[in-house]
Amino acid sequence: MTGATAKGIPAVSSRSTTDVRPGAPSRPPAPKAGRPAGRRSLFSRLGALPWLAPAVVLILGVVVWPVVEMVSTSLRRIDTTGTDHGPAGLVKYHKLFSDPRLPGVLTWTAVWTIAVVGLTMLISLALAQLFNQNFPGRRLTRWALIAPWAASVLMTAIGFRWMLDQVAGVFNRLLLDLGLIDHSRAWLGDAAHARPWLVLVAVFVSLPFTTYTLLAGLQTVPGEVYEAARVDGATPWQTYRKVTLPLLRPAFLVGLVINLINVFNSFPVIWGMTQGGPNADTATTTVLMYMLRGYDVAESAAMSVVNFAIVILMVVVFLKVSRWNGEES
Amino acid sequence: MKRRLLSLSAATLAGALALSGCSKGSNSGSTSADGVTTIKFVAADYGSNGQNPTQAYWQGVISAFEQQNPKIKVDLQVINWNDIDTQVKTMVQNGNQPDILQTGGYADFAKNGQLYPAQDVLSAGTTGDFLPAMAHAGEQEGTQYGIPFISSARMFLINNELFKKAGLDPANPPKTWADITADATALKKAGVEIPLGVPLGKEEAQGESFIWMLENHGGYQDDKGKYVINSQANIDTFTQLKSWVDAGLTEQSPASVNRTDLAKDFASGKVGMLNGIPTQLNDVKNMDVTWTSMPGKDGASKATLGVADWVMAFKKGGHKEQIKAFLDFAYSKDNTVKFDKEYSLLPVTQSALTALQADPDQKALTPFLQILPTAVFYPLSDPTWPAVSAQVKTQIGSAATDPKKTLDALQQAAQQAGE
Repeated sequence: MTGATAKGIPAVSSRSTTDVRPGAPSRPPAPKAGRPAGRRSLFSRLGALPWLAPAVVLILGVVVWPVVEMVSTSLRRIDTTGTDHGPAGLVKYHKLFSDPRLPGVLTWTAVWTIAVVGLTMLISLALAQLFNQNFPGRRLTRWALIAPWAASVLMTAIGFRWMLDQVAGVFNRLLLDLGLIDHSRAWLGDAAHARPWLVLVAVFVSLPFTTYTLLAGLQTVPGEVYEAARVDGATPWQTYRKVTLPLLRPAFLVGLVINLINVFNSFPVIWGMTQGGPNADTATTTVLMYMLRGYDVAESAAMSVVNFAIVILMVVVFLKVSRWNGEES
Repeated sequence: MKRRLLSLSAATLAGALALSGCSKGSNSGSTSADGVTTIKFVAADYGSNGQNPTQAYWQGVISAFEQQNPKIKVDLQVINWNDIDTQVKTMVQNGNQPDILQTGGYADFAKNGQLYPAQDVLSAGTTGDFLPAMAHAGEQEGTQYGIPFISSARMFLINNELFKKAGLDPANPPKTWADITADATALKKAGVEIPLGVPLGKEEAQGESFIWMLENHGGYQDDKGKYVINSQANIDTFTQLKSWVDAGLTEQSPASVNRTDLAKDFASGKVGMLNGIPTQLNDVKNMDVTWTSMPGKDGASKATLGVADWVMAFKKGGHKEQIKAFLDFAYSKDNTVKFDKEYSLLPVTQSALTALQADPDQKALTPFLQILPTAVFYPLSDPTWPAVSAQVKTQIGSAATDPKKTLDALQQAAQQAGE
């Protein structure tokens, strides 16, 4: 996921940041290919349609069709052999919402998303600032930051799982040798200990992408505005708050929304470290959906539909809050 | 920007959807051409970590069979245990049932009327050879659909060296739960890391729990086949387990410890006692251990958990005669004995049982072979069991923290499983 989104990002942020005028609300430029002036023949009124068609077909096939399939699966009675026993109405939704584990899972999903995204954005802001400075070895440290990104997330998660293992883990060895604990612990054995570790690993793997997004944003801030701030006698903190942060807003928002959706949907970190266990104590809704799949495909589909609704809701709320579509409405 | 955002979230969604398993495979079973009939056979892989693959065993059986029966070809597909359920599910969903399937359960297929009765696809000689307890476990409403393939049973396993170190006599193993408490406490004092191993991680939690339930005369179902997961006996069982966990006599957080990992810890001398399985025989070959009958709440338990894997024949392809020819060949004594030896599993037929008992190389298996006829099985013939079992696996570990709440939730889930 990160790989695909990452490619788009520098282009997006640089384009939108160059458009920023001091005092004007920062928003991306309107698409150049707007409505053509005047009336034309039928064929040319088709305009961009032939060119858009492949993308539309792709979205219909890869997004819309699975959604339809998902919703219809959630309304059927499918047993453990995969045999379809006809329509089930809303039985699976009822079953899902009466599952005693669901409230805990929903709460943890919210905590997880907010904690991981919040920490990631904060730490990335600091890191981006650091990497924007000129210092010896900058190129090397910038490369080093890519490492958690380049490694497969699942691989990182499994690595951490074994580092935290009760019997074979190096983390226990370290704490034992330092005399901080007197017997080795199962760090991922219960929710109270496992959750902070899950958040930590998720932040670790989200940092590179977010930092690079913010870094790209920082590099488009023209030097003149800093010069102006200096001339006006602004302190470094004032400069950061009043100049850097507002100009960084588009890049920050892009990083924020992509992280929100990524982290909400994140599967490999939790699956690789705890498989959502013990029980479903560390499962987010995405992980729970996968767990349900093992014995009730239809209920799992119902969970997917709920997930889908949450993502849509998140995007809508985000668009409202950030006023990105302010001009259109 | 809005459009870009939408398509971004769309792409993310598509990723999430791919996870929910919307993909469909497409391999079709072939039928007769030029007088040669191909039957499709899907089997589970009993090898571990790529060692000792079951593919090799079946290929040997199949090539011998095809030489004797030139008119029948067997198309073999061996799938590992993690994927076999999902892949078979996909085959069934798409109407591509195999002709023969060898896996962990049969009841839900039988309930849907997708299987041939065992007597239709086996000769009388083969059906008559099954151990009665096994054949019975394959019955649903009076008809046998599940054809037992291999079995396994559990016994209590003790590390003699650690027992001696704690001043205990391994020749006098714990017989009651009170004995377990006393011995585990002694082992803990002697510095044993895990005095009593209770792997309630999802790999095999349904088995580990069932053993402890049986020791207190509880279980998943009552005599009438109704789920009674939150019965008082079961709550008492988990209350006892919880008190051992709280006293530090077990591994920390049993709910996240899997059987295989704990077996490795046993092999490296860190575990005092646990419920063992025959596949561990190889690991403990050079260790000083005692295999004994399961302790019970008030005295040594007569019952132990028996596990069986199954072969079933699907009606869809209509290859009854060819299936019969192949299964009769595959169930010949030489083949079954070879398979049981290869993977340290227990037999399901009288002839293989006799052969293994007489085999001096298989002496270590003797105690298991003796208890096998009295073994108690999961509610295998109940079509809802596969779904209930899957939920028990992930959830029952929490019962060692909160017995009542967890067992109530599982009872609720079991009652809904039929819907």
